[in-house]
Amino acid sequence: MLSRVARPALRAAVAAPRAAAGPSTAATYATLREIETRLKSIRNIEKITNTMKVVASTKLTRATRSMNDSRKYGEASNEVFKSAETTAAEAEEKKSLVIVCSSDKGLCGGIHSGLSRTIRRMSAEEPPFDLVIIGEKCKAQLSRTNAKGIQLNFAGIGKDIPTFADAQAIADQIVLLPTEYTDVKILYNKFINATSYEPTFIEAFSEEAISQSPNISAFEVEDEALANLREYSLANSLYWALAEGHACEQSARRNAMENASKNAGEMIGKYQILYNRTRQAVITGELVEIITGAIASEEM
Amino acid sequence: MTAAWKAAGLTYNRYLAVAARAIRRSLKEDKRIVAERRAVSELRFATWKNGKAGEPKDLAAANAAAMAESASS
Repeated sequence: MLSRVARPALRAAVAAPRAAAGPSTAATYATLREIETRLKSIRNIEKITNTMKVVASTKLTRATRSMNDSRKYGEASNEVFKSAETTAAEAEEKKSLVIVCSSDKGLCGGIHSGLSRTIRRMSAEEPPFDLVIIGEKCKAQLSRTNAKGIQLNFAGIGKDIPTFADAQAIADQIVLLPTEYTDVKILYNKFINATSYEPTFIEAFSEEAISQSPNISAFEVEDEALANLREYSLANSLYWALAEGHACEQSARRNAMENASKNAGEMIGKYQILYNRTRQAVITGELVEIITGAIASEEM
Repeated sequence: MTAAWKAAGLTYNRYLAVAARAIRRSLKEDKRIVAERRAVSELRFATWKNGKAGEPKDLAAANAAAMAESASS
C-alpha cells in the first residue's frame, strides 16, 4: 500500500520544479496535488495505526487476564519466602544477576527504554552486575552501554502471551550459568493501570539465602528439595514478570497507536482545510483572470 | 534418596515440563490442541562473552543437550 502512496508523491516532487518555473497558476495546481497526495498518505497511516490499535486492544484483554492469573501464581509462590522471612544472602563478595524482561517488538512507546534506563542508572550507582536479557529491544539498547555484563540473551518472546513452558526453559538456562549468584533480580514493567507502568524488581533467592532464612525450619523440608524450590520459584517469578510485562506492552502499544491515530486525524483536518482554501484560491484566481480578460476585450 | 529424574540430570523445571507434556497429550482431542499450543516455544538464546554475542541457538535443544551432559557425568 505504501509504495502506491509513495509513487504519486514522487511524481509530484518531480513535477514541482518544472511547475515553479512556469506561470504562477501552474504552481498552485502543483501544490494542490501535493497536498492531495500528502492527505492520502496520512489517511493511509491513520488506517494502519488504527488497525494496530484494534489488534492491540483485543490482545490486551487476553494479556491482562493472563497477567492477573500469573500474578496470583507468583504471589502464592513468594508466600513461602515471606513466611520463611527470606532475605538476600549477606555474602562478602556479592555477585548479582539482573534479568530484564522486555520483548522483541517495538511500536509501543517507551516501555523498553524505561527498563534500559533503570539498568543504566543501576550500573552507575551499584557495583557491577551481570545481565540476562529477554527480548531483542532491550538487548539492542543495552548492548551499547552495558555489553560487558551481558551473559545471556533470549529472543522469540512476545509474539503471543508468554507461557509457563517459556519461563521454565529460560529459568533452566539461567540456572546453568557457570557463576554462582548471591542474588537474582528480575526487572519487569509493573502494570499500574492502562496508561501507567513502572520498572520494578522481583527478588528471586539463591539456595543459600533460602536455607539461611530464619523461619525455614517451620517448613520441615529436606535440604535437597531446596534446590528444586529455587529453580521452580525462579520459573514462577519469571512467568509472572513475563506475563505482566506482556500486558504492559500491549497496553502501551494500544496507547501509542491511539495517540498516533489521533495525531493523524488532526493532521488530516489541517490538511483538508488547507486543501479547500487552496482550491478556492485557485478558483478565485481563475475567475479574476477570466473577468479581467472579458473586461479587457470588451473595452477594445 | 535422590529421585530418578535428578539422577538422570533433569532439573526440576524440566521434570515438570515433561510431566506437563504427558498430561497435555492425554487430554481429549479438542482440549489437547488448545493445550499443546501453550507448549510451543520458539525461544532462541545466545551466550555473551566479554561484550560479544555468540551464535544464536535454539533454547529447547540446548537445554536438552545440557541435561544429557549432566546425566552422563
